[in-house]
Amino acid sequence: MILGIVGAGQAACTLILELIRGNFRGQVLIFNGEAIPPYQRPPLSKDWLQNPSRDRLNLLPKIIEQDSRITWISRTVTSIDPGRGTIRTRDTAHTVDHIILATGTRAKKLEIPGLSAQQNVSLRTLNDAENLRLNLAQASTINIVGAGFLAFELAASLSKFGITVRILAKGPRALPQVGLDTAEYLSSRSDALIITETRLIKFDRKAQSLLSNQGPISCDLVITAIGSEPNIELAEASGLATTSGIPVDVNMQTNHPRVSAIGEVAEYHHTLIGKKLRIESIAQANETACILATHLLEQQSVRHKIPWFWSNQGSEKLQIAGFSERSDDSFLLMDKPHQRVVLRHKDGRVTAVEAINAAREYMAARRLFESNEKSISLNTVQQAGSIFSLLQSSSS
Amino acid sequence: MLHVTFIDPSENEIEANFEPGDSLLQAAVHAGVDGILAECGGGCSCATCHVILSSAWAGTLEPPGPQEADMLTFAVDPTPQSRLACQVQLKTEHNGLTLNVAKRQY
Repeated sequence: MILGIVGAGQAACTLILELIRGNFRGQVLIFNGEAIPPYQRPPLSKDWLQNPSRDRLNLLPKIIEQDSRITWISRTVTSIDPGRGTIRTRDTAHTVDHIILATGTRAKKLEIPGLSAQQNVSLRTLNDAENLRLNLAQASTINIVGAGFLAFELAASLSKFGITVRILAKGPRALPQVGLDTAEYLSSRSDALIITETRLIKFDRKAQSLLSNQGPISCDLVITAIGSEPNIELAEASGLATTSGIPVDVNMQTNHPRVSAIGEVAEYHHTLIGKKLRIESIAQANETACILATHLLEQQSVRHKIPWFWSNQGSEKLQIAGFSERSDDSFLLMDKPHQRVVLRHKDGRVTAVEAINAAREYMAARRLFESNEKSISLNTVQQAGSIFSLLQSSSS
Repeated sequence: MLHVTFIDPSENEIEANFEPGDSLLQAAVHAGVDGILAECGGGCSCATCHVILSSAWAGTLEPPGPQEADMLTFAVDPTPQSRLACQVQLKTEHNGLTLNVAKRQY
């Protein structure tokens, strides 16, 4: 069997690793549109800026990269034909038995009138990160447009360079993905000045200022961190079904039997959450890749794991277990000087646990979510006082 | 070149080169050591890069911080010499030392 993997990020590399370790007998063509070998992205917004070594980002061991079953093709895929199993680049065509779309997501762009591309950067790839680093020498003030995890991670990293950072939020508060108690704590610990309800009008080049409904906000550089959009164009153009991602079944197969999709672009029904999900996280990339690997190796299929997530914001570590909607309620379970645990809940059930510098609570939540058929009742956790105590009492 | 030797769950010895400042996990990934999953990519958030240091490491490292200690509670059969590879920064003095990859990460 010949597999063609489009994309060479986290999901693609985990798939390769799992296939090789599972004694895969076929061949793999992997199409890498970036000019460099696969690398890890999570560090780019964190400690990498201070210690920018490419080697430390390596995603695959050399021994796997150089395995004889793998052929690396350093070209961008321009089209796929599911019916014929063809993958085309600008100047080559390849026939495979199965196509795997691991095309990931890209940063959403924001045009700000008057602001040049050099002064309006985003952070997604190593190239973006290296470009941002080059800009830091001339920057004393940076405005980050967007107030999600990436904005907070970057703000913490940039302030180590002595740069003044502002986070410009569109909505009434920063970090709308997490509960209010979580967002408040992280905002209070951030080095950045957070300006909410911001509507940008244009960039005044003479004054080097972003003009907004909140008045002029000066800066040397703008980083846009307003989220991402999935790379579904190849799938769309080939006639595959697409939604806000590429919908797949329990084995990561798309609506065409010859095509699968994994990683941040794949949208699938999560059996533990009971919803269709497309989550952007390293856990998701690895999980979808492992599910597909098991299927391709014809091994017994793996159970879904509960979604989980982490974010380092300077010395603050946020860890989330579970999956909550923005409208889910919040309950502050633990509030210590350097620790906070927030339960997100709906209809008396805990949907997610947001733990700041409280790894034990986060891990206990992952264990409980995975062991509990009926999910965790809010009341029970409140009575136990901590998720760890609840885990101990339920396992004894 | 500086190196440490990993003993993987099948008892294979793998020599892993490192530069001072690399984490044990980075050295393991470079060398393709089996049995380390590192599902979170080195963020001290999964406890699947569990390793057990030999006695020769004693005194060369700060003890685990509170986050790592908490995560280690959830590793499979942790010992007092257990560490998460992503949290151990390698130094020149670690050259030549050995360590075991935990038998199971789950």
